[in-house]
Amino acid sequence: MSLAPAHVAGVGMVRFGKYPADVTLERMAVGAAREALADAGAPLTAVDALYVGHVFGGPVAGQRVAAQLGLDGAPVSNHENYCASGATAVREAWVALAAGLHDVVLVIGVEKMTDRISGGVRPDPGDLDASVGFVMAAGHAMSARRYMADHGATRAQIAAVAVKNHAHSVHNPYAQYQKPITLEQVLAARQIAEPLGLLDCSPISDGAAAVLLCSPAGLRRLGLGGRDVGGAVPRVLGVGLVSGSVLTGTGDLNAEDVSRRAGEEAWKLSGVGPDEIDLVEMHDCFTIAEIVRMEGLGLVPHGQGAAWTAAGHTSIGGRLPVNPSGGLLSRGHPVGATGAAQVCELTWQLRGAAGARQVEGARTGLAYCKGGTVNGTDGGSVTTVVMAR
Amino acid sequence: MPPTESPSGPRPFREGLLRLEPPALLGSRCTACGATAFPPREFCPACRATDGLAESALSAEGRVHSFTVVRQAPPGIEVPYVLGWIDLPADDVRLMARVVGVAPEQVELDMPVRLELTPFDTAGDGADLLGYHFRAGVAA
Repeated sequence: MSLAPAHVAGVGMVRFGKYPADVTLERMAVGAAREALADAGAPLTAVDALYVGHVFGGPVAGQRVAAQLGLDGAPVSNHENYCASGATAVREAWVALAAGLHDVVLVIGVEKMTDRISGGVRPDPGDLDASVGFVMAAGHAMSARRYMADHGATRAQIAAVAVKNHAHSVHNPYAQYQKPITLEQVLAARQIAEPLGLLDCSPISDGAAAVLLCSPAGLRRLGLGGRDVGGAVPRVLGVGLVSGSVLTGTGDLNAEDVSRRAGEEAWKLSGVGPDEIDLVEMHDCFTIAEIVRMEGLGLVPHGQGAAWTAAGHTSIGGRLPVNPSGGLLSRGHPVGATGAAQVCELTWQLRGAAGARQVEGARTGLAYCKGGTVNGTDGGSVTTVVMAR
Repeated sequence: MPPTESPSGPRPFREGLLRLEPPALLGSRCTACGATAFPPREFCPACRATDGLAESALSAEGRVHSFTVVRQAPPGIEVPYVLGWIDLPADDVRLMARVVGVAPEQVELDMPVRLELTPFDTAGDGADLLGYHFRAGVAA
């Protein structure tokens, strides 16, 4: 059984970055929401429900946003799956539309981090990994070192992910960083968790992104039903969600079975095959993560992701463009907002409205988020959003 | 004979995670399929059995499957330190732990290391709460 697609009537973002204290979570969320509503030409009164993804926003952040936005009284739910929170909110909204519960729903991913997080993000203090000093950067650093040893990849090939994604975000007005960087800069940057340096790591950011999703009846309510909904209004075909499995044995550290399973969910729910994907918004919280996750999905041959990146195969204009937005490394990573921002980017790409970062002929795209870690498993949550025009 | 411990003596920072004497990490071994899990679980992650899981003291001998030198961490964590994925070949178990007894630039893949208990915290009664790390250069 497959669920009906959700139509993306409008998207909006506030530029990711570091904002002063008076630019609150609520203010950013409202800003992104108003942009999405304006993009769809939709009045606030057309919205049936609000789905909010965040991690550090505190209790009932979504309801606090609703009270500022003017959606007070509506059904509001908060969704926490660490860095996959925004995408998880998209999934729940898609399910509610397909179930016939609502016809027009607003999804907001939002995070205010720079006033409450420093030095990096880490697991829950009660998780065993936290007791031995695990920080996210360390996990990816160990992944990178093993990847180089197992596949003969070079440090420079891994660094090429950051160079490529920063080159893409030069053309993204919503990106935190809009300047190109050189390979030499990445290699010479201050070490965070060896072999990864500062420019291998996504930043701690503030930001919000919003997506207005509709059923066919919802599109008619917004006056968009007359369009060819298969063309002008991109659709979310399906959203996969898996969690990490408890691992045993001493196998390949970069097996990325959790990514493989998330991919399988995506293909099953969307009816789209991996060979139909024209572009990917990939959760590059660290350079090496983009490489091993693309391999885990089966979109890049195992062990070849670093070489592919260095060869330009994942650049705009390459064989399979990855992160035309600049990804987390360059767009910024306000953790709960990232999944919604990926859907914004896929929407612009599938509309052919991405300007100088447009992937030519983009018809089908995938957005992947991975959130959190749990001791002994290969991950917390992974989401896979498949969209088509 | 190990000395009898007073109630305020050193104890594991988490109950059931390790044995003090002789020092060992405690896993769960599945009598159905033979897989060992650390930390111990009430099910077998390999075959999903929920019966026949036995406590199993793990080998103290490990090797470094991968590692990093952490140079930046959130407030409250002193840097630098070496964090590794440690394989215990005798048990076919991989776990995460700090590596000590070696300069960060001297750590190598597949380097032999040996389990050592170390205080992770102090209890309200002043007792050491023992955790674990792996020491280089003392492997059997």
